[in-house]
Amino acid sequence: MILYKKIYVFILCFIMLVALSGCLGGREINDLEIVIGMGIDKDKDTGDILLTAQIVNEKEAGGASGEGGGGGGKAYWNVNSIGKSIFDAARQITHKTGNRLFVSHNQVVIFGHDVAAEGLQKHIDFFLRAHEMRPTTLILVAEGRASDIMDAKPETERFPAMNITKLVKTYGFTSHLYKVNMKDFATCLMSGTSATFAPLVTVSQDRENKDVFVPGMAVFKNGKMVGKLSHDEVRGVLWVLGKVESGVVIVPSPDGKGKAVLEIVNAKSKVKPEIKDGRIIFHIKIEEELSLSEQTTRENLATVPGFGKVQEAAGKVVRQEIMAAFERSKELRLDIFGFGEMLHKKYKNEWKIMEHNWDDIYPTIELDIHVDSRIVSNDLLRRPASPDEGGE
Amino acid sequence: MFRYIFRRIRCSSLKNENDRMKNGTAPEKKNSEPLLPSLENNIRAIRENLRGSSDLAVHEFNFGHDRRYRGAIVFISDMADKDEINKNILQPLMFGSLLISSDADIDYTKIDNVARNLVPVTDSRKVALLYELLDSLLAGAVILLVDGSKEALAVRTGKRESRSIDEPATEAVVRGPREGFNENVNTSIALIRQKIKSPDLCVEKLVIGEKSKTDVYIVYVKSVADPKLIEEVRKRLDRIKTDAILESGYIEQFIEDDPWSIFPTVSNTEKPDKVAAKILEGRVAILADGTPFALVVPMLFIESFQSVEDYYTRPFLASIMRMVRFLSYIISTLGPAAYVALTVFHQELIPTQLLISIAEGRERVPFPAILEAFLMIFAFEILREAGVRLPKPVGQTVGIVGAIVLGEASVQAGLISPIMVIVVSATAIASFAVPAQTDSGTILRYIFLALAGIAGGFGVILGLLVTLLHLVSLRSFGTPYLWPIAPLNIAGLRDFLIRMPLWMLSRRPQAIVRSDGNTRSQGPDLMPSPNKGGGNDTV
Repeated sequence: MILYKKIYVFILCFIMLVALSGCLGGREINDLEIVIGMGIDKDKDTGDILLTAQIVNEKEAGGASGEGGGGGGKAYWNVNSIGKSIFDAARQITHKTGNRLFVSHNQVVIFGHDVAAEGLQKHIDFFLRAHEMRPTTLILVAEGRASDIMDAKPETERFPAMNITKLVKTYGFTSHLYKVNMKDFATCLMSGTSATFAPLVTVSQDRENKDVFVPGMAVFKNGKMVGKLSHDEVRGVLWVLGKVESGVVIVPSPDGKGKAVLEIVNAKSKVKPEIKDGRIIFHIKIEEELSLSEQTTRENLATVPGFGKVQEAAGKVVRQEIMAAFERSKELRLDIFGFGEMLHKKYKNEWKIMEHNWDDIYPTIELDIHVDSRIVSNDLLRRPASPDEGGE
Repeated sequence: MFRYIFRRIRCSSLKNENDRMKNGTAPEKKNSEPLLPSLENNIRAIRENLRGSSDLAVHEFNFGHDRRYRGAIVFISDMADKDEINKNILQPLMFGSLLISSDADIDYTKIDNVARNLVPVTDSRKVALLYELLDSLLAGAVILLVDGSKEALAVRTGKRESRSIDEPATEAVVRGPREGFNENVNTSIALIRQKIKSPDLCVEKLVIGEKSKTDVYIVYVKSVADPKLIEEVRKRLDRIKTDAILESGYIEQFIEDDPWSIFPTVSNTEKPDKVAAKILEGRVAILADGTPFALVVPMLFIESFQSVEDYYTRPFLASIMRMVRFLSYIISTLGPAAYVALTVFHQELIPTQLLISIAEGRERVPFPAILEAFLMIFAFEILREAGVRLPKPVGQTVGIVGAIVLGEASVQAGLISPIMVIVVSATAIASFAVPAQTDSGTILRYIFLALAGIAGGFGVILGLLVTLLHLVSLRSFGTPYLWPIAPLNIAGLRDFLIRMPLWMLSRRPQAIVRSDGNTRSQGPDLMPSPNKGGGNDTV
């Protein structure tokens, strides 16, 4: 009898454990405010942080269950709140949401232009410290205010934040930008010498429907945004860094009547710094493989001499892009290529002297660019789709 | 008194099956009495012992060419074949004896003479003791008593009512023999004998159950089975003291290694080919009369994931199906627990889009996920139990109503989230993929679910750890339950996740077979190839 009693008590305890426990830090999904994007601006009146959180609106997201979906409501809810810091603002937001934010699924953090210009160093801390945050969260800088970007409703995606993520993640098709996440950004920021980048994002106003797009990248110096790079300038940097994945190179056709459009298939780079006679020279060797994707002239370019001319022209384009980026960086007095680090690795002793006035030395360095471009494919056409001129 | 005891000892040494039976019961003095020469006394004694049972049939008659002798046949009316009694016992006795004109030198009061001269049946034996007589009588024999003889003849007649040899409903196969055991244990043993026509196949008989006196057979292949294992099986069967063995499950529960474990350590099957395959690996089968389910010991955990068809089909798909079964077992035990742990504790591990979908589905659900999961699983168990017991047409109705109410309406009403329906139904389907472990899987599912609800992934891992520890410590008749993984046996792994081709399975399970019975005659040199052997290569 006593044994049975003990068993009953044990079972009762177990049931109570399940039924009454607060579930050791468990949170039901219903109680979550799933944040998928965050925008950080400076409040115009107070100068405090204005946090915009994009939260999934479960009621309107209209899942597969069919009923209740649609209704014209937005699938997301942009809540904002003002606080002395980001974390303060994130806690203040509970006055509006009723629950604390669940930021594990945050896809993207967008900093407003004024915040970025003031410096991101102090804001980055929160994103790296909070255990719910992912270091892979993407960073972008808005050309205007981050909250405007968050409000621009995309056509196909349900959530603006997801849409922006997609824009950045597909950078490989053009190599006009590249994605930067929290970890990359912080690493760059901490290294000190080299510049830090983040994709820019803006809303085009030319049509009645607002489109979000990425016009280039923002450049940071010591955590403060100091300038912008255009698409071509960004690619100039990426050529040197060997990060070009793919993209389009347009060259005039040899006969001058049209264009040859090439796609980058493969690209490699090698940079060798050299100090000679007091001059600092960087030997940049770039190997690229291209495919002929489009041509607007009637001359058949898919011939040995045709390829040769096009290759030469393509090499010139690459050189121009690199030089454009270099000129821009001289303007900014900022080592956006990370040349300083390369020099450091090869000339340790010399670097110790140069380190402190690298910003002044930087504009005097010389680039020796050598581009080896090769067309490896002409895709499906052997000659242009035009009446034969009897050229062959 | 001493004489009785003496005779009993002698008797029991002759027939230890009866001895076993008698030791269990409080000895009834009357039953151990010898038969008396008087026919009337014997019949009265039988009647008394059967407490005047109304289905006892007694037929007295005279025989001998001058009708000098008096005899009687006694049987339980519905257990014996009356036609055969008339034709093969009464007729030869009453009329055949007339044909033997001179019986001066034949004394029909000696039962031997009767048996040799007058009863043309194969299955008969002499009984001298009252209890022996009663046992035979109750087992369906016809008892022939002759006045003046101290012995009687027990004749087995007719066939027992039994089912035909059908395909077992629980173990249907696509490829493979479609025969199954039936309730008649003799048929079952015959089916095994047909598979293994070797003098190596040993069949030992025991009688278990004080009241039921059920015939239980131990079947094994002598050159393969470990003698220690056989001895252990005998010992454990001997230990059983119970009223009745109505199904082999009774035996299973008396001989298990760990009766408190949720994992079965004795396997059962209805298929003779499966039993044959297992005893050829050195296992011992236990068959009981009255049930088609044979027990096989020892049982390994991996046996639950092996199917006879794995060996009948080519090894490629068989291996994939085996992995599917492993996966199903994992899903069936961990499915709802993983769902609860992920959605309540580790939302960051769910891909964002999926999390949003789940959140949408749960938007209107008023219960915590753990309660939701318990409700659904419980509802499924109810459905299953109700469906199994009901006749087919009604069972289907239950299934349809249940599916609509649970699957559709509860989601529509916002009581259950659609993802939970998917999780529970996937779990339910997966649990049927491994029939041998359905019980343990169901129990583990509840335990893991509760742990997931209390402590999330941490709780589940804790539960898994304890389960694993238990499994590793478990043994079935001396064989480690997790063999060949723990202890690791490389040769055994050939028939584990991947079923290697038959010609590569040259070793029997080392943990089970006797030390010198490890190698099969099949081997790697038997790898089929057109250039081997004296085969004709012309096409």
